[in-house]
Amino acid sequence: MDNDPSKPEHEHGAARPKPAPDPAHGVEDVSAGALSEALRSSFNVVKLLMGALVLAFVLSGVFTVKPNQVAIKLRFGKPVGVGDGQLLKPGLHWKFPYPIDDVVYVPVGETHTVTSTAGWYYQTPEEAAAGQKPQPQGMLRAGVDGYTLSGDGDIIHARATLSYRIKDPVSYVFSFRNATNLLQHVLDNALFYASARFTADDALYRNKLAFQESVQARVGQLVDHLKLGVKIESGEVRTDTQAPVDVVEAFNNVVKAENQGNIKVQEAETYARGATNKAAGDATVILRGATTASNYLVTTIAAEADRFEKLLPRYEANPELFIQRLLSEKMGQILTNAQYKVFLPERPDGKPWELRLQLSKEPDVPKKETPKPE
Amino acid sequence: MKRNLITLITAAVLLVIFVCMLFTFQVRQTEVAVVTTFGEYSRSITEPGLKGRLPWPIQKVYEFDNRLQTLERKFDETITKDQKNLVIAVYAGWRVADPRVFLESFNGDMAKAEQKLEEIIRNAKSIIGRYNFSDLISTNLAELKFDQIEKEMLDVVQAQVKGTYGIAVDTMGIKQLGLPESITSIVFERMRAERQQLIATYQSEGDRDAKNIRADADAQANKILAEASGEAKKVLGEADAKASEYYEAFRKKPELAIFLMQLNAIEQSLKDRAYLILGPQTPPFNLLNGAAGDSGSSLKK
Repeated sequence: MDNDPSKPEHEHGAARPKPAPDPAHGVEDVSAGALSEALRSSFNVVKLLMGALVLAFVLSGVFTVKPNQVAIKLRFGKPVGVGDGQLLKPGLHWKFPYPIDDVVYVPVGETHTVTSTAGWYYQTPEEAAAGQKPQPQGMLRAGVDGYTLSGDGDIIHARATLSYRIKDPVSYVFSFRNATNLLQHVLDNALFYASARFTADDALYRNKLAFQESVQARVGQLVDHLKLGVKIESGEVRTDTQAPVDVVEAFNNVVKAENQGNIKVQEAETYARGATNKAAGDATVILRGATTASNYLVTTIAAEADRFEKLLPRYEANPELFIQRLLSEKMGQILTNAQYKVFLPERPDGKPWELRLQLSKEPDVPKKETPKPE
Repeated sequence: MKRNLITLITAAVLLVIFVCMLFTFQVRQTEVAVVTTFGEYSRSITEPGLKGRLPWPIQKVYEFDNRLQTLERKFDETITKDQKNLVIAVYAGWRVADPRVFLESFNGDMAKAEQKLEEIIRNAKSIIGRYNFSDLISTNLAELKFDQIEKEMLDVVQAQVKGTYGIAVDTMGIKQLGLPESITSIVFERMRAERQQLIATYQSEGDRDAKNIRADADAQANKILAEASGEAKKVLGEADAKASEYYEAFRKKPELAIFLMQLNAIEQSLKDRAYLILGPQTPPFNLLNGAAGDSGSSLKK
């Protein structure tokens, strides 16, 4: 009966007396369990934190390149990739956090502007605000009043604006500490270079476009030489030139005199065109008149010859009668057509009459002179 | 066991970071560097990337910007070969070429390097004294030596800095060119006088050109008329020649032809507003002679 395995264990235990619990040992077990639980919880928090850190690490490496930019990733300071492969196009990219990787953004899509005022006059803030030019001072101060020297030794004011885009981002960013500043110097140089080869009148009035082209050509030459990595489109250098206020009136008077001279020449050219056109017209009239006259002459003579041929047989038949007949016919016509006819009969003494006629150029009413006897 | 592993990994990572910080450094694309050991030069680094080093205070790293720096020198007054005063400002583009020499020359101080370079550039401007004013400023492009002067100044500066200061000057150019203040007023006077001359020139040239144009036009008109007259005479002459062919017919009876022509001439001449004074002998009025004096005598005749 005692060895019956079907009996529950507690029944055996119940048979033995249960030892009395140690109060101190029970407190230790509870503390150890609580500590273990706390550590487990802390460890879970640490794991969570580490997971979060790993996630933050991964996400912190994400960066965006905007549409008008390219980016260059530097790993330990060295560009990643070779040639165009160094350039990261717009979009989402990833990098290791600093200091392993670093990113340089280059705004290649933007148009940058540089202005050179080294040759432009100085304006006080008040003058600039009012849009006024400075007052004549009788002289200019180098370093304060900007100006350039023209090829003929005159003083003029000139300024230029240059617009450019970054063509080679690697060169632009990594080869020059301040490429814009260098471009500013280049533009100043080009302005003085161009001024030195143009006359003041050409730079100011006559050939402003050529002056501008000269500045642009010089800028292009220097930019290529320096390998600045920028692109300057044709027409993206604009210049402006002005005469100094001290002499602007003299320049204006020259322009005025030149215009007046041109007006005189234009008037003369108008006269010349009129005179030659009139002469050409008169020449046409003369030629046509000559042609008409020649035609008339030939036609008339031909008609007379024809008439002669026809009249000749009748003349030869009786010359005297023929002549008298024609003469009488003609006299009849003449006397019929004549406006005024005066018949002077023979003087009784047989002497000729003395006639005195007073004729005007266009006598409306011709006066008949009374014949006076001698 | 698991907890120990994580602790170990964390510790290892931290250790690696610490060691890297102590034993490595970066040289960026835009930099060059010099490493010194106990203050003595060890090596120069001109390629970018992660480089090794011994920790401070054993080794020290000096990094310099390797990009082209721009330097602007303010106005200096100078005299050309033909004794004309000029004020000139230049710019230069320079960079650290040899980091070791640069460190030794300027203790790595960029400002000190620029000061030295300014001094060298100021001296280089004396090149202007070898050239005439017209070599810098002229409308005759053949005699203009703007580029040559800039190049010669650059050559002088390059020769002085090469191998001496650890820097290289890559470019140099004239930034501004002007005149002393007192001379600008003289130039203004000259400009005004020249403009007065120009005004007189334009006025006289305008008059002259206008007169020339008018005279040429008159001559041209006269020529056109003369040519037309000549042509007209030629046409008339040809007409006369042609008409003369018809005169052959008149040869058969010249007296009749002459009579007919005279008759025609009389008719033509008395066509308009004729004022006829007829004498008693004028046929057919000669018939009236008898009526005036001896009546019917002529009639009878």
